Amino acid sequence: MAALFEARGVTKRFGGLTALHGVDFAVDRGIASIIGPNGAGKTTLFNIFTGLYGADEGHVAFRGQALLGLRPDQITALGICRTFQNIRLFSNMTAIENVLVGMNSRIALGLWDVLSHSPGFRRTEAQLAARAVALLDRVGLQANANVVARNLPYGDRRRLELARALAAEPALLLLDEPTAGMTQGEAGALMRLLRGLVADLGIAIILIEHNMRVVMEVSDRVTVLDHGEKIAEGSPREVQENVRVIEAYLGTRGAGPRGARRA
Amino acid sequence: MDFELLIGIFPQVLLDGLILGFMYALIALGYTMVYGVLEFINFAHSEIFIAGAFVGVEILLGLKSVGLLDGLPWPVVLLLALLGGMAASGLIAVSVERIAYRPLRQAPRLIPLISAIGISFFLQDLIRLVESLWRNAFNLVYPTMDSLNLRFELTETIDVSVKSLVVIVGALLMLWALHLIVNRTKVGTAIRAVAEDQAAASLMGIDVNRIISLTFLIGGAMGGAAGVLFGVQYGLINPYSGFIPGLKAFTAAVLGGIGNIPGAMVGGLVLGLLEAFAASYLSLLTGGAFGAEYKDIFAFSLLILILIFRPKGLLGEVVRERA
Amino acid sequence: MTQMALAVGLVAASAFAVATFPRSVLVFLFFQGSLLFVYRARIPEWLRWSLLALALLVLMPVIGYYNRYYLEVATQVGIFVALALGLNIVVGLAGLLDLGYVAFYAVGAYSWAIFGSPHANIIFGGDSFPLAGWWFYVFLFVGLGVAALTGILLGLPVLRLHGDYLAIVTLGFGEVIRVLANNLDKPINLTNGPKGITPISRPPAPFGLPYGEYFYFLALIIVVAIVIVSRRLEDSHIGRAWEAIREDELAARAMGVPLVRMKLMAFACGASFAGVMGVLFSAKQVFINPESFTFLESIGVLAMVILGGMGSIPGAVLGATVVTVLNLQVLKGFSLWLNELKNAGVTVLGYSLADLPTQFEPAKYERMVFGIILVLMMIFRPQGIFPARRRQRELAHH
Repeated sequence: MAALFEARGVTKRFGGLTALHGVDFAVDRGIASIIGPNGAGKTTLFNIFTGLYGADEGHVAFRGQALLGLRPDQITALGICRTFQNIRLFSNMTAIENVLVGMNSRIALGLWDVLSHSPGFRRTEAQLAARAVALLDRVGLQANANVVARNLPYGDRRRLELARALAAEPALLLLDEPTAGMTQGEAGALMRLLRGLVADLGIAIILIEHNMRVVMEVSDRVTVLDHGEKIAEGSPREVQENVRVIEAYLGTRGAGPRGARRA
Repeated sequence: MDFELLIGIFPQVLLDGLILGFMYALIALGYTMVYGVLEFINFAHSEIFIAGAFVGVEILLGLKSVGLLDGLPWPVVLLLALLGGMAASGLIAVSVERIAYRPLRQAPRLIPLISAIGISFFLQDLIRLVESLWRNAFNLVYPTMDSLNLRFELTETIDVSVKSLVVIVGALLMLWALHLIVNRTKVGTAIRAVAEDQAAASLMGIDVNRIISLTFLIGGAMGGAAGVLFGVQYGLINPYSGFIPGLKAFTAAVLGGIGNIPGAMVGGLVLGLLEAFAASYLSLLTGGAFGAEYKDIFAFSLLILILIFRPKGLLGEVVRERA
Repeated sequence: MTQMALAVGLVAASAFAVATFPRSVLVFLFFQGSLLFVYRARIPEWLRWSLLALALLVLMPVIGYYNRYYLEVATQVGIFVALALGLNIVVGLAGLLDLGYVAFYAVGAYSWAIFGSPHANIIFGGDSFPLAGWWFYVFLFVGLGVAALTGILLGLPVLRLHGDYLAIVTLGFGEVIRVLANNLDKPINLTNGPKGITPISRPPAPFGLPYGEYFYFLALIIVVAIVIVSRRLEDSHIGRAWEAIREDELAARAMGVPLVRMKLMAFACGASFAGVMGVLFSAKQVFINPESFTFLESIGVLAMVILGGMGSIPGAVLGATVVTVLNLQVLKGFSLWLNELKNAGVTVLGYSLADLPTQFEPAKYERMVFGIILVLMMIFRPQGIFPARRRQRELAHH
């Protein structure tokens, strides 16, 4: 049986710079993390997976369906959704409205339904609202449902982005540095939330993270990128002890440290 | 197809194209310099341009009323008009930046753009108001200067007026001066630095606000010079006659690559020539079905096509968005 | 309680005042101000809407009886409210700065103008035009459709543009339409160029209403329909998708919003409002020419949306009313008042107003009004007078 998500030989160049070079990656269930020093190409990989960038070489498939060349909204409709490194919420819309937008790909209504307020419209809107509230509840934001997104505190904004991504009913969730800027306590809570999602909803999660403690605690598998190449992959323990990984983060003898922020 | 006619009018069309092209280049410089440092389209630049034309005409009319128009040598007269127009336009540009753009620099991009549109409209009627009160007329005609209307022959079949030569030479001098300022002076380097990377420039000790004001001053002055030359060349101006040339000059700036100074010059010339040829040959080639009135559509369509298919223009650079 | 009494009292008093002083612009403004008070006052909804209905359905036509020009102003306000609501969808909700919006208005107007007048005979030959008056009602929908189609045609090439570039391209399109309207009198005479098209048929007026009243009520009905449509769109997944596009297009895409379809829908919906009103406009005026469809009108509608509040339906209504009244009444009234002062030989600080240059006519300074509105609003209150309020949804608690 094909894995849920599979990428092979992904290569991406920007002008003269090769950002990704023949990267293989697959995930089937649970939480897989991608780590690596800054500039390793992690977000670029996400952008390729979600259709924001094209790839110069390689294959990407989700449930057997090729993804390269599809538009982002098509990929979302297939069942993959993501969050962003720099939090991209709809600032002037409320929390619940943000989540409702996430459901867009699951709505089967047309213009005429909206204009005529057909029974189908009324029913669907009610269902959407109920689901949105449930999602906000799950991430702990139900009290702030009507707060405009730009007025939410930082931690709440990250959680809102997660709720919005979940609204698209994905089978695969891509989270780009979801714990950035959080305290250890908050990060731990978020990880428990993620494990809960995997258990309850059966979704798979790919995580880009710099917070090593979080990564090692929560991941089923860890993949390490450096300078656009995969240099290690395995269980958290295996990766932690891998010499190449240590060198990538700390430098070889004589060279200085580069990149990674430690927890 | 009357080839003799087509070839016969060629030199005149070429000349018209050059004159138009240099004027567009001068105006385009204002757009491109401001875009370079602020990534912002100064919509009001078309009015800054025509304001220069109005100041120029007032100077000339003033000289005429004291009998000096023909008394002084014509280069002096023109120089006075040019300097007056440039100074006025430059000042208006700087003021507009201080009042209507600077407070909005941190706002999302739509907001200063709308403010610029507002200033454009405001200035149009402001010029109308000032001229209505001052002179009880706002459709003004540049006084004729006989020495400018002299024509002399280049070859057997081509003759050219002093006026045309003055416009071309004047424009060339302006462009040369700008080239020197931007590339050979400290100030010019500062402008280029701010255009590249505002944050880094300020960290290098450059007073960004001052440089931005200076950019508006220089761009505005170029526009003002173009205005005076426009008035000299075409004679009749009104407060609303800046709009179309402004839009076309903007097309020229985009054609050459918005933000790129040599690009504005190239774009201006190319557009001027294309437009002159379109205007003259279009009706001849289509048997009168589509005449010179369509030359405006020509420029606008070119603008639309460039922005859609090659927004970086001929000499410009692509800006990419990162996720 | 006092607000209720005040609301009723103001409306009654101002209406009475207008009937008594039909020539006074200030009194008419007082009447309009009272309607604004009724809209915002803390009074029960039933009272608010009954008063407004009374004012618009009964009092306004009565005022029109005393001063026909006021009815004309009210009808123009209705037309511009519809236009502002249309532009509000494109600019306010979807965040697409369209500077050539008047092109849709023109397309609607010309569609009825051509077929509702003998002009079509010039194009098609023969004698079958103009169409009978009642075709006007059919053409309200034709104009809607043609304008929507034009919106899609405009939207297709500009899909990938943003902000400044989008604005300039739409401006270019608007200008192209204007030049075309002005010049498409050869080789085929489609628009009759600068001479315009006339006479345009009017539908037979029901109940023998005079045309002033007829077009007023028709505009009112269409505006009400458009407001309902706007609200339904705004409060649906379509409206939310538009707003998401405005807020962050990339994120919207990533969340599954189909950009192309949504942007084209925004253009089409916004354009359709203008198209319908264009048809009404051409029947009302009986004569149209390209002069009514210039960049000035596009900016005017933009000023209305900005003043009222981008993305806000009450804002669009307010903005359209204020700007139209400013141009049609205040400026004009100021002009007339100035003339009266001049004729009376009044002096200000030793300067005789009769000496004011004849070229100075305040009524012509619409551009200055638009310009000042746009700049001041952007600097001091970019969210508009009635900012779009986020709907506070009622949620069941867990």
